[in-house]
Amino acid sequence: MIAGAVHTALFYLLACAAIALALAVTGAQRLLRAAVCLMGVLAMSAGLYVLLGAEFLAGIQVLVYVGGIVVLIVFTIMLTRSADLLEDKPSFPRRLMAVAASVLFLLMTAGIFLTTDFRANPGALPPANEVLSIGRSLLDAGAEGFVLPFEVVSLLLLAAVLGSIVVARKTPPPDQPFTSGGDRPGEVRPDPTLSQNEAPDGGAR
Amino acid sequence: MNPLGFALRNAWLVPAIPFFSFILVGLFLRPWSKKAAGVAATLAIFASAFVACWVAWEYFRLYPPGGAHPPLVPWGIEWLRYRTGLSVSMGVLVDPISVLLMVVVTTVSALVHLYSIGYMRGDEGYGRFFTFLNLFTFSMLGLVAAPNILQMYVFWELVGVSSFLLIGFYYSKPSAVAASKKAFIVTRFADAGFFIGILILAYYGYMAFGQLGGAVAAKVAGRSATALQPFDFLYLADPAVLGKLAALGPALLGIPLLTLAMVLVFMGAAGKSAMFPLHIWLPDAMEGPTPVSALIHAATMVVAGVYLVARLLPAFVAGGSALLVVACVGAFTCLFAAVIGITQDDIKRVLAFSTLSQIGYMMLALGVVSAAHPLGYTAGMFHLFTHAFFKALLFLGAGAMIHAVHSNEIWDMGGLARKMPITHACFLVATLAIAGIWPFAGFFSKDEILAAALGGGHAGIFAVSLAVAGLTAFYMFRIYFVSFWGRPRSERAEHAREAPAVMWLPLAALALLSLVSGFVPMGEYVSLGDAPERGGVDFAIAIPASLVALAGIGLAWFFYGGPAGRAQRAAEALGAVYRVVKRKFYVDEVYLFVTKNVVFRCVARPIAWFDRHAVDGGVNLSARTTRGLGAALRRLQTGQVQAYCVWYVAGILFVLLVLWAARM
Amino acid sequence: MIRFLASHPPGMTHWLLLSAALFSIGLYGLLSRRNAVGILMSVELMLNSAALNFVVFNRFVQPGRMDGQVMAIFVIAVAAAAVVVGMAIFVALFRHRATVDVNRAADLKH
Repeated sequence: MIAGAVHTALFYLLACAAIALALAVTGAQRLLRAAVCLMGVLAMSAGLYVLLGAEFLAGIQVLVYVGGIVVLIVFTIMLTRSADLLEDKPSFPRRLMAVAASVLFLLMTAGIFLTTDFRANPGALPPANEVLSIGRSLLDAGAEGFVLPFEVVSLLLLAAVLGSIVVARKTPPPDQPFTSGGDRPGEVRPDPTLSQNEAPDGGAR
Repeated sequence: MNPLGFALRNAWLVPAIPFFSFILVGLFLRPWSKKAAGVAATLAIFASAFVACWVAWEYFRLYPPGGAHPPLVPWGIEWLRYRTGLSVSMGVLVDPISVLLMVVVTTVSALVHLYSIGYMRGDEGYGRFFTFLNLFTFSMLGLVAAPNILQMYVFWELVGVSSFLLIGFYYSKPSAVAASKKAFIVTRFADAGFFIGILILAYYGYMAFGQLGGAVAAKVAGRSATALQPFDFLYLADPAVLGKLAALGPALLGIPLLTLAMVLVFMGAAGKSAMFPLHIWLPDAMEGPTPVSALIHAATMVVAGVYLVARLLPAFVAGGSALLVVACVGAFTCLFAAVIGITQDDIKRVLAFSTLSQIGYMMLALGVVSAAHPLGYTAGMFHLFTHAFFKALLFLGAGAMIHAVHSNEIWDMGGLARKMPITHACFLVATLAIAGIWPFAGFFSKDEILAAALGGGHAGIFAVSLAVAGLTAFYMFRIYFVSFWGRPRSERAEHAREAPAVMWLPLAALALLSLVSGFVPMGEYVSLGDAPERGGVDFAIAIPASLVALAGIGLAWFFYGGPAGRAQRAAEALGAVYRVVKRKFYVDEVYLFVTKNVVFRCVARPIAWFDRHAVDGGVNLSARTTRGLGAALRRLQTGQVQAYCVWYVAGILFVLLVLWAARM
Repeated sequence: MIRFLASHPPGMTHWLLLSAALFSIGLYGLLSRRNAVGILMSVELMLNSAALNFVVFNRFVQPGRMDGQVMAIFVIAVAAAAVVVGMAIFVALFRHRATVDVNRAADLKH
């Protein structure tokens, strides 16, 4: 009984915290603050996963989401000087529109959730070894296995990494026009791999 | 139909030859060689004239003079078919008056063509002139030969177009352009009435066709190449049909329907024949070249109205007061035009008013026809016949004089008798003819008209006709004395020379015709009903008429043949009256006033406003709305991704809503 | 109090409403944020709520299998890929435009 009460109390606690932090993520004017609040939301989510019995997932959440993604976001904020460049204050009509859309969406979804019978059977038991089960699913090549998505996701990650390198590198591809300069915003540095841009050293090498 | 000779069977050649000539000359010969165009056009009309005379000869051999002359339709094709019992055909009607007119039209046209070869020499539009003349001849012949009222209407309009083209021949002259527009608009306005009249006749004729058509068809069986239709003259002139139409009840203001229809038809005739008050276009139409005036506005087109009335005379007779309207309008125009003609100085204007007056004679002759006294029909047609010749001669002669003196004013001429002897002789013949002096043609035809008026018991009309005979003699001899007698009044008149042969040959031919055509016993050829009109001279009428004419000549000699100045003093003595008459009783000014202040201001301007703002505005509004909508929609394309996201979300919500509602 | 809390555990509906709320908040952020990085953070919020949703369904409808959790793992992976690429784009955009203000990058404007 205590466990049940704690479970319920934790749920409401984590839920309210998550919602509050989420509001901060979307409403904060200073981006670093928003990033930290995002970290908070994700942490609360991890907690909620634990409440749902998905401990492994909670761990993954903290490792990947919080530890990887949010950190990446913070890096980007730094790189794009967004922390001190501008204050994110959307105009009133924009905010109104956004509120309207999201509230309507919420109402819609809530309506669907409240009126649908999901045939829940909460009494059923989870499998004994959760992590083994997940692992098995991921590598299951049968009809209900996830090996194909698993492989595709790995490909996706590879593509994402390569793509981001290509997009974000400082030197443009060889066929683009050059301007002099370095890595100030708006400038491009000449490609040192091309002969015309080599530092003159007399050619006697 | 077997005893029909070659010409009768191929009577369609009479209008067809000018038509093919028109195409040939207009499209092919004109760009190639002007001279060839002129010669070809003239030869074509001479050929057509030859065929017309042949048709006349064959027709009167088939139905000898003195007997009945039923109308024939030796050639026809079905043109428009509305339904089995209602169709319009194109064909050629051969009966005494159509044959008469075919001969007149082709002969005068041929002579005018010949004359124009000399008159229009050196003109820029030489080829164009002959093309239009051919077109006109074709249209007029089509009108004359029409067996049904719709074909006549089609060619009526075509004649109007040809007239428009020819009046406005010198298209760089604003006055000519204005005159051609005036002619076309006035006649078009009259034709509106004409068409309504046609519709009424056709409608009620069609209603009665089921009942009476069979009987009428049986009567005319064998005489028509196409089946009888409600539009045919053979049908509309039938007594049974007319009786039925006359019995139809009152239409507007208590006027019987047939009378109304015939008055409307007469409106068309009045427009084309320039009866008061639709006469305003004819004096202005003198802006066209003189051969055009001779052919169209003297001899042929303007008599189309007379021809129409003659063609539908049985219907007019059945229509009661319609005929009275014809007679009154004719008589009034006759007097009105003669009075104005006395004061004009432009020779062509005088001749134009003279034409108005003479057509008035023809109309009143037709107007005094009644069942008991049908002489007017013959008289009107006879006068049409003779008038064509001497009026054409007068115009062509005037053309020669104008050509020599380079001015239209009679006061610039003078002494031309010595300088232009042939023209002088021919002109004198024509003037004597129009004045009605024996033995020239006008004497006989005018005499018959007077006899018809008196015989029908119309004393007032008779008096008017007699008076006008005197006036005619007076003003015609006024021109004669001023132009040909005395001393040359201007530099050019001094140096006037006779016209070239190609111009005086037609004059001589017409002079001969003006002399002999009076001796044709018209009554035996053309008469209403089957019995001929006995010819001969009625001395009780001839003597007063001749005396009046001689008095007119004498008065003209007094004022214009003697020492100068008498006319001047007389004109001054009459003062204001003279001025009013000289300004043609200000009829043109009245028309202009009404047109500007009533038609333009009250009718045309609101309509133009409506057209510009409502109609155009409506179209512009639709364009503006579309553009506005487009601009508004454009603003959706903000380039802001988040705005697009909002729409995206809205779309999702909408779809969810639909699915949810469907599930509910 | 404890009895009350124990006898009213959060049912499936509560969990689902929570994830709906988180998603809506994320949507709000997506539509109103001016900074591109801010938008990306909102997107992360939405993805997170989707993953939560999967796990909720797994737990309440079919706890015998791990399908929901596996899907949640995939969501996380995809979110990571998305963030990586997005950040690269923002950095490149910043280099060319000296700004990551979404309002200023309106090249699709008519």
